[in-house]
Amino acid sequence: MSTPSATSPARPPFSPGSWWSRLRGRIRWAPVYETLREPQLFLLLAVIIGLFSGLAVVLFRVTIDATRLFVFGSALTPPWVRILLVPILGGLVVAFLVIKLFPRVRGSGVNQTKAAVYIYDGFIPFNTVIGKFVCCALAIGTGQSLGPEDPSLQMGAGIASALGRRLRLSREKVRLIAPVGAAAGLAAAFNAPVSAVLFVIEEVIGGWTAGVLGAVVLSAVSSVVVSRWFLGGQPLFRIPEYHLVHPAELLAYALLGVIGGISSLAMVKLIGAVRPRLKVLPAWSEYLLPSAAGLLIGVIGLGLPQVMGAGYEFMDQAMHDEFAWRMLALLAVFKILATSLSFVSGTPGGMFAPALFIGAMLGGAVGGVEHHFFPWLTGGVGAYALVGMGTLFAGFLRAPMTSVFMVLEVSGNYSIILPVMISNAIAYLISRHYQPTPLFDLLSRQDGMDLPSMEERREQPALHVEDAMRPYDGVVLSTEDSLKAALSSTDASAKAFVLIEDETGRWYGIDKDELRARAALLPDGTLLRSLLPDIPLPHLHPDHALEEALRRLGDWPLLPVVNRADYRKLEGVVTLPDVLETYRAASAPAATEAATLS
Amino acid sequence: MACPLCSERRGYFWSLRRDTFLAVVFALLIVLFVVTGFAVRSYDAREVRLAWDWNKRGERDLEAGRPEAALVDFRNALFHARDNARYQLRLAQALAATGSNPQARTYLLSLRERDPGNGTVNLELARLAAREHAIPEASRYYHDAVYSEWEGDPVTKRRAVRLELVQFLLDSEQTEAARSELIAVAANLPSDADLRARVATLLVKVGGYDDALRLFRQALASQPHSAVALAGAGECYFQMGRYPEAARYLERAVQQDSHLVNAAAMLDTARAVQNLDPFARRLGEPESARRAQLDFGQALARLNACAAQRGISLPAPGDDPLQKLYAQAAALQPRARESVLGRDRDLLSNVMDQVFEIEQTTSQVCGAPQGIDLALLLIARQQEATRP
Repeated sequence: MSTPSATSPARPPFSPGSWWSRLRGRIRWAPVYETLREPQLFLLLAVIIGLFSGLAVVLFRVTIDATRLFVFGSALTPPWVRILLVPILGGLVVAFLVIKLFPRVRGSGVNQTKAAVYIYDGFIPFNTVIGKFVCCALAIGTGQSLGPEDPSLQMGAGIASALGRRLRLSREKVRLIAPVGAAAGLAAAFNAPVSAVLFVIEEVIGGWTAGVLGAVVLSAVSSVVVSRWFLGGQPLFRIPEYHLVHPAELLAYALLGVIGGISSLAMVKLIGAVRPRLKVLPAWSEYLLPSAAGLLIGVIGLGLPQVMGAGYEFMDQAMHDEFAWRMLALLAVFKILATSLSFVSGTPGGMFAPALFIGAMLGGAVGGVEHHFFPWLTGGVGAYALVGMGTLFAGFLRAPMTSVFMVLEVSGNYSIILPVMISNAIAYLISRHYQPTPLFDLLSRQDGMDLPSMEERREQPALHVEDAMRPYDGVVLSTEDSLKAALSSTDASAKAFVLIEDETGRWYGIDKDELRARAALLPDGTLLRSLLPDIPLPHLHPDHALEEALRRLGDWPLLPVVNRADYRKLEGVVTLPDVLETYRAASAPAATEAATLS
Repeated sequence: MACPLCSERRGYFWSLRRDTFLAVVFALLIVLFVVTGFAVRSYDAREVRLAWDWNKRGERDLEAGRPEAALVDFRNALFHARDNARYQLRLAQALAATGSNPQARTYLLSLRERDPGNGTVNLELARLAAREHAIPEASRYYHDAVYSEWEGDPVTKRRAVRLELVQFLLDSEQTEAARSELIAVAANLPSDADLRARVATLLVKVGGYDDALRLFRQALASQPHSAVALAGAGECYFQMGRYPEAARYLERAVQQDSHLVNAAAMLDTARAVQNLDPFARRLGEPESARRAQLDFGQALARLNACAAQRGISLPAPGDDPLQKLYAQAAALQPRARESVLGRDRDLLSNVMDQVFEIEQTTSQVCGAPQGIDLALLLIARQQEATRP
């Protein structure tokens, strides 16, 4: 053991400040922004967003349940005084909070996330997250017929927006970060990451790239991990084992699709018709509308307390065949009414859970009727209730792909896919036929925002090169032709631009005058190959998007359209005027429609 | 495009460097994890307590015979503990108790899907199916229950399930299936006299007299004065046509328990068979003739009673089987006297054949006989069995 030498400097007395300074001096903090590039940071951020969103959603769910427990008591059916009074008082408090503190929490979270992406450069004020949390927990907990998924989606988007902005990501990334958070919020709320990812892609972004998909998936997965960590990994609903008793049972599922489509339509029409009328009422009425809706819901709740709140426990009961089919039908009708009242009154909250509730009740009713009249033909009512959920999701929220996966994911039952697909497709088609504008687009237009409609975008006819190409009636020369032969061929043609192909399927083009000028300087036996430029003509295929033709045309007067299997086979040619004419022809009906509408 | 909403106040967090901010974010994440964990745990504990309270209330209601009230309580319990299998089972039981069989089945099937080897769930499903007289389905669930997992003394519980299955099969008149189950039960019985007597009693019901007798004897070996075992053994002997042994056991049984009405009736019949059988071994000819004459008189009385019951005049000529029998009996009657019968063994046989035919026909036409007529019928069957 060594002792300090006499010459060594005296050690300074210990103090926490100096200890911390020395530690800081020794550790060289590697700045994250130097080691991580933006795409990597974006992915790391997606995970962080997922974790935060998961935690927020878990707390949100607990707050809703605790509020319900506090105001209604622990019984599934509360005393009538509470049923009547609590929604009124809750509505008053929510209205006050919304008007005075959180004015931006009104409306659909899906639309607000879309607005953040397409209008506000990814900006969602953090105040909205707090507002959604508090107001929605209060509204749903006090019995308004709304659900927690849509607010969860927006809370996730808000958290993502705040983090993205604070980390000073590029504008493009900040714009994309809101949907990443939205997926995380929805995934945690549904305990269904695949559905959440699909919904965000289907309804918010409208498309995907590898980078965005990676971030969305990471955030959804991390939020679900958090949610399962705290709330357990059980699927949202449990139904008894499903099996198709008889193929004719699919007819009943088709009928469910028809009923689901009509019900979705009724609900969208009701909301679409009442909401603008309430929006023009004097400003002071905003204080009273949520409590007025609460009063009406309370009155409904006296007879049917199941319609109050999100109603997951009653969906579970419907799946376990606990209601008679008449009761189920009644619950579906009154839930449509209650949810429409809650939503149009401006009470913040989501429509996902009510849509699932209505679907479950309708499905259960159809299953119950079939079971009553054709007991040998049908399986359990639970399967119908589950399929009904997806049906309303497809018809009301107009997310057909998500609806299928949502049913599979929330039930953990993959054997039910056939009825789900049949029923959802029918409901979606009916709803789309009679209500061309989907709910979210309708709401955003009523709010004065023209957000891009993903459904309309999906339905837009895509233009391809084959729509603009024309047959080539000019001369096709070979690179092995002599100059003399080439000249004599081109002289016979009226076209100013000549196509030349080589033996490998590459195409070249040359102006007739230029060919003639070069021929004057070279001997007759010279082959065309020696005249060609190093770079061949860009070529196209008939199935290429027309935008691709625009991109590749450049200064070329025309481009060859060749067969994918045989590049030497010329299918036709495309010119810039042809492309523009095709666009003009395609936009004519839309322009006429717009003019008619205006 | 400028953001029209971007007018938020930029406070302390905006002044942090990016890496410092990330560190703050991670710290915040940890804090939030702790806070959320605490909140969830507190809330869960409250939910568990509430669910437990409601369940307890439901159990009380169920015990007090108020299944409707119990139903509400169990639903409330499940509202606070959605995935609690025990509460779901209790709810299903309450639903079944209120006659809501489809709803109960849905819950039970859901539980079964989660835990296919749960004995209680399979047993409840079996009981539901049994209540609806769905024999194959009930048998399947009972068998599943037998081979399922049971907590605490699974052997006893499995045996109880199998015995319940046997009772169900007997009630459904599935005698052969019940017999197979009973044989399986009997093969693994512990040395419990009451249990052996119970299984043997069931075996008697399915006609497994040999196995039943073996079990009754085993039961009597440890409990020699068991009235049930004595009566059971007596019945086995009785059904096997061994009336002296039957009478011996039945007599002891009635001595042990004078309330065994069936055993007493059987004892009377067994004694009557012994006293009325003219073909009994070691019987002298005069006694055989005396019994034959007595039996013939009894048969005629039975024939008259049966004819009177049906409003038929026996002496009148006609095609009714009773009238034909009467005509045959009337032809035999002058010779059916003790003195003649004692001398003519063939005549005794003919007389007794006539007696047996009368008893068999009247039992078909006028219902099962009692007392001496039953004894005569049993003697007839015994004779029929001994004929080549």
